Amino acid sequence: MSRKLLQYFVLLVTLMITSAGQAAPAAPDPPSNDDCLTCHGKPDASAKFTDGETLSLYVDRESFAHSVHGGKLACTNCHTNITAVPHPARQFKDRRAMDLTYYESCKQCHFAEYTRLLDGVHYAALEKGKEKAPTCVDCHGAHAMEPPGKPRMHISATCAKCHTAVGAAYARSAHAAGLAKGNPDVPVCTNCHRAHDNANPLTTASHLRISELCARCHTNEKLMAKYGISTDVLTTYLADFHGLTASLYRSEGLKPAALTATCTDCHGVHDITWVKGPGSSVIKANLLIKCQHCHKGAGPNFSSAWMGHYEPSLRHAPLVYLTKLFYMIFIPFVVGGLVIQILLHLWRVVVNI
Amino acid sequence: MMKEYIQRFSVRQRIEHFTVMMLFLVLGLTGFAQKFYDAPWAIWTINAIGGIDRVRWIHRAAGIAFTVFAIFHISIGLFLVLTRRARPSMIASRKDFQDAITQLRYYLRISDKHARFDRFDYRQKFEYWGMVLGGMLMIATGFMLLYPVIVTRFLPGEFIPVARVAHSNEGLLAFLIVIIWHIFNAHLSPEVFPFDPSIFTGKVTREYMEKEHPIEYERIMGQSEEKQEAQTHEDP
Repeated sequence: MSRKLLQYFVLLVTLMITSAGQAAPAAPDPPSNDDCLTCHGKPDASAKFTDGETLSLYVDRESFAHSVHGGKLACTNCHTNITAVPHPARQFKDRRAMDLTYYESCKQCHFAEYTRLLDGVHYAALEKGKEKAPTCVDCHGAHAMEPPGKPRMHISATCAKCHTAVGAAYARSAHAAGLAKGNPDVPVCTNCHRAHDNANPLTTASHLRISELCARCHTNEKLMAKYGISTDVLTTYLADFHGLTASLYRSEGLKPAALTATCTDCHGVHDITWVKGPGSSVIKANLLIKCQHCHKGAGPNFSSAWMGHYEPSLRHAPLVYLTKLFYMIFIPFVVGGLVIQILLHLWRVVVNI
Repeated sequence: MMKEYIQRFSVRQRIEHFTVMMLFLVLGLTGFAQKFYDAPWAIWTINAIGGIDRVRWIHRAAGIAFTVFAIFHISIGLFLVLTRRARPSMIASRKDFQDAITQLRYYLRISDKHARFDRFDYRQKFEYWGMVLGGMLMIATGFMLLYPVIVTRFLPGEFIPVARVAHSNEGLLAFLIVIIWHIFNAHLSPEVFPFDPSIFTGKVTREYMEKEHPIEYERIMGQSEEKQEAQTHEDP
C-alpha cells in the first residue's frame, strides 16, 4: 500500500464510515510508534466528527518523547482498539464523546487514581450525564503529559480552566502570591480539595472539616514560624463558641439546623488575605460585616466579642483574663473553706465520741 | 402533750425547693456538657440528648424558667416581709458572724459552747445568699450570652467572653458548693445522716428543732400557747 493511499484511508475512513469494513485483519503485530507516526506525525493529519468539528490527528514526536510516558508506552497501550492499519471505522458525535471513550485507558496502569476519581464530585457529575465534567485527560493532557505538580502553579492554572471565578479569587490570595514566587509552602487547589476524589465542598460535612484542613499547615510550628503566624489559631477557635459547636456537630453526625462560623467564613474562602494587610477581611471594620452575615443587626461593638485568636492576657482581652484569674482564686478559696469546715465538724464529732 | 413534729417549711417553700433542685439538675447537666465539651462523657451526653442544638435549647429554656422562678421567689419574699406576714429570717446579721466564730471555736475544741441558732443558721444563710447572688449572676451572664447582639449595643464586645468565663466558672462553683456543702449538710452530716427529709415533708422533729434551731423553737413554743401553729410560716 502506498503512503498516499494510506493517508487517503486515514482521512476518509477513520471516524466516518459506519458500516462495513469492521472485520479487522487477522491479529497482526500491533503497529509500532513509528508506524503510527508515519501518518500521525504529519501536522495536517486530521479527521472530522459527525458534528463537523475537525480533530487534529497530529502527534508531536518530540513532545511525546519528553512526556512522562515517552520511551515507556506505545501508542497502542492507550489506543487499545487500534490493532491494524488502516483503522476500523469509528464514529464519534463530537470530541467529548471521543474523550469519554478513551479516558478509561488510563486505569490500566493508574487504577488507584481511577478508583479515587470514582469517589469524587467530577465523576458523580459525569455519571449524571454532565459531559463537561473532567476526566483524566482534561487535567493531565494527552500526549505531552508532564508530572502534574511541576511546577505547582500548573495545578491552580489547570483547575482555573473551568473554575474561572474561583481561580480569579485564589489569584488575589496570600497563598497565590506565595505560589507566584515559587514558595512551596503555600497550598494550591488540590492541597485542600484533593486531586481525584474531590469531595463536594459545599456540603455541611465539608464545611465542618474546614478548620481541620487549615490546621494541617496552620498548626505546624516550624512552617508558621517562617511567617510569624500564630499556631494557636485552631485551639482558640475550638475553645470558642463557634469552634466547639463545629466539633460537636462533627461528632454528632447529624445535619445541624444552621452552620456555625469556621475559618473561611471570616477569612474568605479562596481570596484569603494576610490578616494584617490593608483591606483584610478580618480587620475589625470588615470583620463586623462577616459577623452580620449570621448575626443580623450586630452593632459596632459586636465583633470585639471575638478575641481574635488570642488567649486572654493582660494585653489581649484583659477583662476576660482577670475574670478567669478571679475564679481561679475564688473557687479554691470558697470550696477549700467549706471543706475545712466540714472536716473540722467531723473531727469534733469523732473527738466527742 | 407536745407534738412530735413541727411544721418548718410551707407547701410553697417545698415546691420552690423541688423546682430549683430540678432546674439545677437540668441546667447543670446541659451546662457542664457544654463546659467540658471535649470530654468523652460530655460528647456522650450531648449525643444521648440529641445534639448540641437541643442541649442548648433545653439549657436556655431551663434558664428562662429559672429566671421566672427567681423573680417569683424574690417578689413573694419581699412582699411577705414588707407586709409583715413573715419575718426576714434569712437576712444575715452580726449574730451570724458571731455564731460562725463560736462554732469554729467549738470545732477547734477551744470551747465546748455550741452556737444557738434561730430559724436559719449561718451555714444555711451562706448557702441561700450564695444561691441568690450566684443565681443573679448566672441569669445576667446567661442573658448576655443568649442575646449578644442586643447586649453589645450597650456594652463593649469584650463583655461577651467575660460573661462566658463568669457563667462557666460561677456554674462550676455553684455545682461544687451543692455537691460538697449542701450534700454534706443535708445527707452526710452526723446530725441528719442519712437524709434530712424536712424540705420535702415540711416537718422536723421537736428534738431537732430544740437542738439545731433553739431560738426559733422557743419563739414558736411561746407563741403556740396563744395561737397554736400557723405562725411558723416564715420566709423566705
